[in-house]
Amino acid sequence: MIQGLVANLICPFLGSVAFEILFNVPRRYYVAGGVTGTAGWLVYIWIEGYSSAAMASFAGALVVVFISRMLTVKMKCPITVFLISGIFPLVPGARVYYTAYYLVTGQTGLAGQSGLEALKIAFAIVLGIVLVVSIPREVFQGQYWKNGRRRRQKLK
Amino acid sequence: MEIQQITEGKRDYMDMLLLADPQEDMIMKYLDQGDLFVLYDQGQAVTVAVVVLLNHRKCELKNIATMPEVQRKGYGRYMIHFLCEHYSNRCDLMYVGTGNSEATLGFYRECGFVNSHIVAGFFTDNYREPIYEDGVRLVDMVYLKKRLDSEIDVKKVVDLAVEAGQVLLKNGAEIFRVEETMTRICKRFHVDYVDTFIISHAIFITAEKGMNEVYTKVKHVPLSGAHLGIVAEVNELSREISAGHIGIDAAWERLREIEKIPGKRGAYQVFAAGVGSAAFGYLLGANLQESLAAFFIGCLLYVWVLFGKRMNMSKIIVNMVGGALITALAILAVHIPFLGISRLDGMIIGAIMPLVPGLAFTNAIREIADSDFLSGTVRMIDALLVFVYIAVGVGTTLSIYNSFTGGVMI
Repeated sequence: MIQGLVANLICPFLGSVAFEILFNVPRRYYVAGGVTGTAGWLVYIWIEGYSSAAMASFAGALVVVFISRMLTVKMKCPITVFLISGIFPLVPGARVYYTAYYLVTGQTGLAGQSGLEALKIAFAIVLGIVLVVSIPREVFQGQYWKNGRRRRQKLK
Repeated sequence: MEIQQITEGKRDYMDMLLLADPQEDMIMKYLDQGDLFVLYDQGQAVTVAVVVLLNHRKCELKNIATMPEVQRKGYGRYMIHFLCEHYSNRCDLMYVGTGNSEATLGFYRECGFVNSHIVAGFFTDNYREPIYEDGVRLVDMVYLKKRLDSEIDVKKVVDLAVEAGQVLLKNGAEIFRVEETMTRICKRFHVDYVDTFIISHAIFITAEKGMNEVYTKVKHVPLSGAHLGIVAEVNELSREISAGHIGIDAAWERLREIEKIPGKRGAYQVFAAGVGSAAFGYLLGANLQESLAAFFIGCLLYVWVLFGKRMNMSKIIVNMVGGALITALAILAVHIPFLGISRLDGMIIGAIMPLVPGLAFTNAIREIADSDFLSGTVRMIDALLVFVYIAVGVGTTLSIYNSFTGGVMI
């Protein structure tokens, strides 16, 4: 239990930070990126317990993009910095491997299945990102919520 | 010829300042708070000028005088041109007040000043002695003004914008960010009409200013590795530019510096790739020993990736060989006895991660979400192809191994 907890908190954090390093993200964003990645992964495994991997990826992507957008406003830097590290734990690398594996071993049915699964997950991530990216920028700025409703309507 | 700003001992130049403004206490009113510039020619001070900063990005040229024996040689004009450029970062408008005499007014008009307003009775109210110029007594102060941004030429602005855009695009920024940054820079330096068209590896820009200044530039930006640190820095710079904190020359300098920011050191990257591989391997079902193996495989893989980048190898080679390398090393690990490693998949999946085109994939999606389908599709195909290359590398190695062991797979 404890081992599982540690693995699910530490591993995605370390992994996300590692990929931030590979993309030359400035050091001051490491922790934020790591936390984004961990949050995305936690949501992913939580939902996966109840539903499909695609559904879980969708939820994970939603959370990752949402957090990234908030962090972008807060830390005043391009959203890509957080998005990359957050999306990495969700990318269907495993499915791609299994597709290749089944293809090579001649299990065409299974290969098709996992290939399709990879595409489904990829599409779910796309959907998650697109949904949150389409929210207007003002919503993520503190000013928007401090203003009264009347002002908000004016803003639109 | 050189121009120096004088900060101490301003009063040493009083004799020259008195040439333009005959009453010393009037000069003292602005000399201390104003910026004094002196133009030297062959070590000799020939022209002086005092500029005072006003509110709202405006300034006033309070005094400009050239030694009588070297007048009409272009020193004054040179000084004004210098001042306009010098203050164009901080100010939008420069005023100059002068007596109503055709000779001086003509001089300022030739320097690009236009009429602004008149302060009636200025010379009679403030000066004890009557002042005569060309035999006419000066009464009213005539103010002229000049827009300083007219000193900045379109080419320089557009070049800066294109350079910033190119740095962004090359280092993995999204299309809309490139577009926004370029437009922001142009707008800040008063290039009224800008049209940009940006795709994943090229920039097209047309800028227009006034009636007949049109400038078009096309820039090819080859795809290369991502450096999000540089993207973040340029983003910061663009914010500062549009806030008006930074002038065009300073911006150029900053951009050059940003471009030179090095990537993380090779050894550091290799280590990070290893950690990433191990962490994701463990998450996706590898046990401890397998994760440890994934760490070493990830490190070795990234050594290959860095080598490939240095040799400018194509993506196909880097990713296919990368995939093959991972698989071969994983198979090797399984065959080393006493390691307790029995499965390939955890190690391979973990070690694949550093090859996964995460940036291209996310950017492609963002592009498509912005309805930028052209760049989105290009980047998406780029990402998908990388997945295919990796799969081919992994698959080929597995099937070779398969044929050796006679169909018994791990």
